[in-house]
Amino acid sequence: MQLLQKSLAAFLCFSLTSVPGWPQSTSASAKQLANTTRPSNKPRPEYQSGQLQGDARILHALNRFTFGPRPGDVGVVRSIGLDLWFEQQLHPASLDLTDLNARLGEFPAMQWNPEDLLFRIPSNAIIRQVINGKLQVPDRGALHAVYENQIYRVAEKKQEQAQKKVAELNKPAAMNSGTSTQSEAGMNPNPMSKAPSPMQASNETPNGMGPMNVAAGQPALAAPPAPAAPQFDQTEINLFLNLPPQQRLVRLASMRQPEFDEFFKALKPPQRAALDTGLTPDQREVVGALENPERLVVEELAAQRLTRDIYSTAQLQEVMTDFWLNHFNVFLHKNETTPYYLVSFERDVVRPLALGKFEDLLEATAHSPAMLLYLDNSESTGPDSPAAERAEIANARKPGNQKKARQGLNENYARELMELHTLGVNGGYTQADVTQVARILTGWTVERPERGGGFEFDPNRHEPGTKKALGEKFKDHGEQEGRDLLHFLATRPATAQFISRKIAIRFVSDDPPQSLIDRMAKTYLSSGGDISAVLKALYHSPEFWSTSVYRAKVKTPIEYVVSAVRASDANIDNLRPIANELRTLGMPLYGCVPPTGYNWKASDWVSTGALVDRMNFALSLAANRLPGITSSWTPQADDSAGTILAIDDVTAESEESRLESLLVAGGISDSTRSAVLQQFQQQSAQLPQGASTQQIAAQKRPSLGAQASALERQDQVLAGLLLGSPEFQRR
Amino acid sequence: MQQMNRRFFLRNGALAVAGTTAIPSFLVRSVMAQTLTAPNRRLVVIFQRGAADGLNIVVPYREKNYYSMRPSIAIPQNQVLDLDGFFGLHPSLSSFKPLFDQGHLAVVHAVGSPDMSRSHFDAQDYMESGTPGLKSTQDGWLNRALQSEDIRCDCSHTPFRAVALGADVPRTLAGSIPAIALSNLNSFAIGGRGPAPSPAANAFEAMYGDSGDRIFHPAGEETFGAVKMLRAANPGQYTPSSGANYPNSEFGNNMKQIAQLLKANLGVEAAFTDVSGWDTHQNQGSVNGQLSNRLKDFSDSIGAFWRDLGDSAANVTLVTMSEFGRTARENGTGGTDHGHANAMFVLGGEVKGGKVYGRWPGLDNEQLNEGRDLALTTDYREVLGEVVSSTLGASNLDLVFPGAGIAPNNFLRLV
Repeated sequence: MQLLQKSLAAFLCFSLTSVPGWPQSTSASAKQLANTTRPSNKPRPEYQSGQLQGDARILHALNRFTFGPRPGDVGVVRSIGLDLWFEQQLHPASLDLTDLNARLGEFPAMQWNPEDLLFRIPSNAIIRQVINGKLQVPDRGALHAVYENQIYRVAEKKQEQAQKKVAELNKPAAMNSGTSTQSEAGMNPNPMSKAPSPMQASNETPNGMGPMNVAAGQPALAAPPAPAAPQFDQTEINLFLNLPPQQRLVRLASMRQPEFDEFFKALKPPQRAALDTGLTPDQREVVGALENPERLVVEELAAQRLTRDIYSTAQLQEVMTDFWLNHFNVFLHKNETTPYYLVSFERDVVRPLALGKFEDLLEATAHSPAMLLYLDNSESTGPDSPAAERAEIANARKPGNQKKARQGLNENYARELMELHTLGVNGGYTQADVTQVARILTGWTVERPERGGGFEFDPNRHEPGTKKALGEKFKDHGEQEGRDLLHFLATRPATAQFISRKIAIRFVSDDPPQSLIDRMAKTYLSSGGDISAVLKALYHSPEFWSTSVYRAKVKTPIEYVVSAVRASDANIDNLRPIANELRTLGMPLYGCVPPTGYNWKASDWVSTGALVDRMNFALSLAANRLPGITSSWTPQADDSAGTILAIDDVTAESEESRLESLLVAGGISDSTRSAVLQQFQQQSAQLPQGASTQQIAAQKRPSLGAQASALERQDQVLAGLLLGSPEFQRR
Repeated sequence: MQQMNRRFFLRNGALAVAGTTAIPSFLVRSVMAQTLTAPNRRLVVIFQRGAADGLNIVVPYREKNYYSMRPSIAIPQNQVLDLDGFFGLHPSLSSFKPLFDQGHLAVVHAVGSPDMSRSHFDAQDYMESGTPGLKSTQDGWLNRALQSEDIRCDCSHTPFRAVALGADVPRTLAGSIPAIALSNLNSFAIGGRGPAPSPAANAFEAMYGDSGDRIFHPAGEETFGAVKMLRAANPGQYTPSSGANYPNSEFGNNMKQIAQLLKANLGVEAAFTDVSGWDTHQNQGSVNGQLSNRLKDFSDSIGAFWRDLGDSAANVTLVTMSEFGRTARENGTGGTDHGHANAMFVLGGEVKGGKVYGRWPGLDNEQLNEGRDLALTTDYREVLGEVVSSTLGASNLDLVFPGAGIAPNNFLRLV
């Protein structure tokens, strides 16, 4: 059990909610920021030698405090000065987010609360509630169609599963023969099982099960039509795609099942994209909801996140949002409702508090349905609570085979709260503490989680009595016990160390100096756990600016992929390839299963497989092979001659130099450069006899979208090699 | 034949390269061209991440307390797949039953790590490092087992000697012996699949080969060597043996690829993959449900793998483990919390299967660990020690499991 600082001990016996003596944090107003006298990117005299200077200093700051420099960023920071730039980053409200907000306008649903999201873009859990008669199908036009579509799909799936079960039961007694072949080898004795419509097959099975019977005793649903699957040919599809947007939408909303699903199956990806042209963002969401509601929510969640990482000028806020989402990890697929809660978790809990007080953030996560459900605290019941007593009485009356286990404690959140969120695994708690903390947190639950309800403290579930945890007594006080506990945890020196170390690992190096961590931890404690203050302490530490940490960090997949997109200044219509790449590289968004979150050290991300994937990504990105993501490497001018570069000046070296300064601003090693140049020259050597780089550049270039010119192609390979270089893997 | 001898540490940022020689491409070609003597025996290690519920996997169905402690999630006696009159398998492990009956599959129960941590993170780390309780260990037990083998055998190895199916090299395989992480054999090429490397691949190879970057130079070298070898083995044309039906799941696909690698004469000695989804704190189900679904995928994938290997199965050993077991009693939410001892499976041509090994401590209240979990009677390192010494010829078990005092007289004699 770690020692409490004497200065804090005195306060703990009194109210734990306000700790007098901690300095109030001051937030500089935008006006104050503007009054800074001169751009100061020169290091202060007291810094030791071996400190980064000039542009290297700026690049270092950009590499660490943002997701990677975009073209022109270094110049912008140079002009206003690093100190001012950093202050601005600590105050995102002072920044111009017009461009970002315009882009985020593509995802209107991402502004909704969980309840609305669930209702308007129903999860399968909601659909099952409808099928079970617990919820009414909306009768409003498009929403009605969304529900009908999904009811059909859920019912169809249930049917398939029921058929499978029947097939299993009908297997001869070779159940234990072990291989899965037999279940595959058409054990279903029903020859009709290959009929296109699930309805027909189900009518033939021994039990006559169909979607109606599966949900026995349900209110009558309109029986889905039992047609043969309609076929869509290309002419029909093209006609459909050529309809004016409004008509297209109306037609889609009025398509019945299974026609709707068949139509979408028949669409090739470019056609699916074409289906959306001319539609407003709201309308696009309607189409997405008609097609697959759950997938729409998951995709938009990832898309808005990536949009922010790539385009937000409030980069530090996004980096810290990413940091805290990882620290307070919630796994996307814990259950069907998790994505819906994650939208709010990121938007309402994490991002607004990412640069604020850790305690506020901690408390907000502890009150969030996302976290309470993810770590099972919503189910936790005090063994001596009123609810458990009542359940026990009811249970005693039941016959033996229907008895339920006594409702009880779930320790999951209690443990992770201490191990992963605050004290750290060595922070000085015991198994007994875990149990006691779990008791304190009983009753912290979610109201109607199946409908997207919010936090609720349920006194019936709360364990009565005084709890002794971590050397402290927590008197029976309902929800306040938990608040007191969170305050206690947030103010421990162990927490200060744990959080500071994690921040230092992310921002400085894999093995940051303890002196730096101690200084940050001290700032944490003296500032009341103010994250901005800790980041400032980091910013003002010589360890941060040491030349030994320049490019010392290997980029994690999110940093690699986003920095490549930022550096390329790509035009993005579709973020799916980026999300997919993150999955390939082992870092899917919201995809870390255990609550530990992803690690941020080189050893976790450097492997043979990872390198192959990164190089391939770099090549694909640069060559515009990622659908919906295009970069242009060869500057185009609007003049009619179609030539742009000063032709006489274009050489392999000049192209390489131009792209290098664009993409890997800090420069590359000679070995990288020579490999890249050699490749460029080899490509030139393959060109028709006598053609020089100059002559190729001089050719009239067709507009982008038509075939790229030879120079553009060469530049694509060059850019790909640069983005896949060892230098670009680092930050 | 020059031994590919890169000392390449992969831990905690202390990435160091000692004695690296830039391996010229002709040398790689010559390793490929040579008829490789397939390693005598190969070891496949599977880690069930999340603390699998051993008591519902290998069910002690004669224990009365099992049923009173798990009123809603216990597996009914008439539903288990009986093993020996006392233990039975969860019914979803139907693919394992014939393997047990044929004598290829052994079970060890009440086995695990003696460390009392119930933290997933720590316990996995301890189990994989092979030094429970010690946080300072940098490498993994399987890597050290390969090192131990090298003490006795001055053999040449390929980049595929140690393979992990997944995005990253796991702790188990971290260490001085280079290990490759593969998530998809088919796409293991740079700038396009094809009979020859793409121009971009050649440029990258030169770039990384000449780089002074202390992480990316050796990493790059290893990468390009491996890509070439795998290309030569032509993974795009793979068809599993008849009757091997892998589930279409991540784990199923990983097992299929391991089989591919083993059969492709690439020099694989040790393969690792993991499977998650075992952390059933709530609503774990009994005969059906969450855990049941995991177990079906688990056993069907391994069953298909076994069938796929065909004759090669004779010299393959497969072992499973999980960081700890779960509480003997169900909790308040239809699940179980973190526990202690667990069950391991050992499958192989040389395995003396058809038996449940280990001393069963019982499930009476006073027999439980800390009054809540299955007690431990066998240290998992005894099982692994026996497996690596017979499979990989790792003789120095003090190197593999320092401080554990593992010696042949501890063995359960299951191999």
